[in-house]
Amino acid sequence: MPGFRDLLPNEAEVLREAQESVLGEMRRWGYRHVITPMVESTEVLELGLGPEQRRRLFKFTDARGEVVALVSERTVPVARVVAGKLRSAPLPMRLCYAGPVLSTDEGRFQQRRETYQVGAELVGASGVVADAEVIALAARCLEATGLRRYQVDVGHSEFFQGIMDAVKLPADVKAGVRGALAARDFVALEELLSRTTLRSAEHELLLRFPALRGGAEILKAAGGLVRNHRSERALSELGRVLELLGTHGLGDVVSLDLGAIRDFDYYTGIIFEGYGPDLGRPVAQGGRYDGLLARFGRPAPATGFVVQLDLVWEMLTRAARPPELPRLDAAVAWDAAGLATALRLGSTLRLFGMRAVVDTQPRNHKEAVDWWRAVGAVNLVHCHTSTSTSWSAPGRRMLKLPPEQVAGRLAGSPA
Amino acid sequence: MKKERVSVALATGALLPGALKILSRAGVARLSGAELGRQLLVDRPAVRVILVRPADVPAYVDHGAADLGIVGKDVLWESPGAHYELVDLRFGDCRLVLAVPASSKLAGPETWPPLLRVATKYPRTTASWFEAHGQSVEVVRLHGSVELAPQVGLVDGIVDLTASGRTLRENKLRIAAILGSSTARLIANQASLKTRTAAVQSLVGRLRAAAEQPARPRAAASPAAKQ
Repeated sequence: MPGFRDLLPNEAEVLREAQESVLGEMRRWGYRHVITPMVESTEVLELGLGPEQRRRLFKFTDARGEVVALVSERTVPVARVVAGKLRSAPLPMRLCYAGPVLSTDEGRFQQRRETYQVGAELVGASGVVADAEVIALAARCLEATGLRRYQVDVGHSEFFQGIMDAVKLPADVKAGVRGALAARDFVALEELLSRTTLRSAEHELLLRFPALRGGAEILKAAGGLVRNHRSERALSELGRVLELLGTHGLGDVVSLDLGAIRDFDYYTGIIFEGYGPDLGRPVAQGGRYDGLLARFGRPAPATGFVVQLDLVWEMLTRAARPPELPRLDAAVAWDAAGLATALRLGSTLRLFGMRAVVDTQPRNHKEAVDWWRAVGAVNLVHCHTSTSTSWSAPGRRMLKLPPEQVAGRLAGSPA
Repeated sequence: MKKERVSVALATGALLPGALKILSRAGVARLSGAELGRQLLVDRPAVRVILVRPADVPAYVDHGAADLGIVGKDVLWESPGAHYELVDLRFGDCRLVLAVPASSKLAGPETWPPLLRVATKYPRTTASWFEAHGQSVEVVRLHGSVELAPQVGLVDGIVDLTASGRTLRENKLRIAAILGSSTARLIANQASLKTRTAAVQSLVGRLRAAAEQPARPRAAASPAAKQ
């Protein structure tokens, strides 16, 4: 089926490792794991998703005729849980989650309709310290997966909203400006703005949106151009967040992007995106969404992000040094009298944390060697009797040893 | 740094000469259509230029295989994506029109039948334009020689791109409505703008300046490119 794919053992292992690393980092920051269903009622999802996102849902009716959908993200289900089953739990609350999400649109995820996300939400905390925590966590999560080169762009949705308030335009032109920006169509934007005779610093800022990137210096440059409270406040918050991220030890990877264009109806404050090397799309994204929880009846500020595991996987496997896949440590073969020894040895090796596969049929030595090659294990242990095994490993002579000694040698302790 | 070379995807066909001219005027690279047509990928110190089919330019840019692309607005109508549309490069002017047989009674919207049948290579743009104008339409998607369709009675009219109107006249078609005007656009990959800001923005600035300066007479149009 187009847009869906199987993850074969090597791919699945890299993806799973990346997911575990990210969840592990989130747990170290005090985020608790929640699991929400693959399916949600469309009534719930529609409280949080915009019209475009709703259109992309896989919808169907269940046996009772209720319209349900496969989740396309998990921030909304988490909001439902926080305002529902967890409504008496104190805020702020730190939650994380992982799992596949689905979209009917093949274009959105580069021809993929099922993708894997890990996300974290910090609910009930407003202010720049919470914003900086979530951005720092996102950065450390990317590091935890093994990505060595990445950068985080931080912006603020209120900077744009303030400009739109201040800019003197008829309502229909304003709607056009929003539409053009959402479509990232700066040619249309320029045309819309050139049709009006009113010129202002805000016009110039809108036209320069794709170029409003940089470090702390850009705050000063932009501050000189905006004359409205909302945008000025956004700039001062960005300054504070930048400072805090420096203290988090992330000064080198963070840039400011005042022209960040995101879903303006959803985000209410600091927003950010993480980029890896040589990939055309953000690998992590998030921001503040203080309006969502109220729609579920528990008004609360909130901020969070998702890491796109598929993209992490792509970058890791394309890196100059792809991640090393753990190998099978031992293939344990047996001949007629060796089965019990083989099963016991397998258990022992696993107890030491090694990966060991025990054969399902008796083999002579030559057959055992062929089987060893086929399963691709590092060592072959061929069990003959309760006291005798043959141990083979690449680049060394085969050794005849009792099983306890083999186990000891493989585990790296002196026999 | 290896990645400081900015890659630009150009479209084959009618826009190619204009695109090469503007790259040269902007002092980015001087390339001949023949060289690019033969190699499809040409590296210069500051840029890599690749040549792809017009409809493929957005795909190359959206996926980050090219940082920038030069492509007709007509292509962008049909395949909106995650790219930034940055500059109107002001060449390759053409219009997307509804054309009907010269003998047809159809003219303005008031003369259209309840269900209009049109053939086009631009199904998405056509459907959304007629929808916005409250007209029911049956779109027949064709891949070439669209002009033929109304002459053999397949459809009431066609929606197609025209620059001079010559092809329409030759096929005894006349323009009944204009759906939009198209020129060449400069599009950019969103991540390229962020992760390689300086190199990409400087190239965008040069191309914008070249597009805004009035085209010089042909004989004089040979600035000594620095690259």
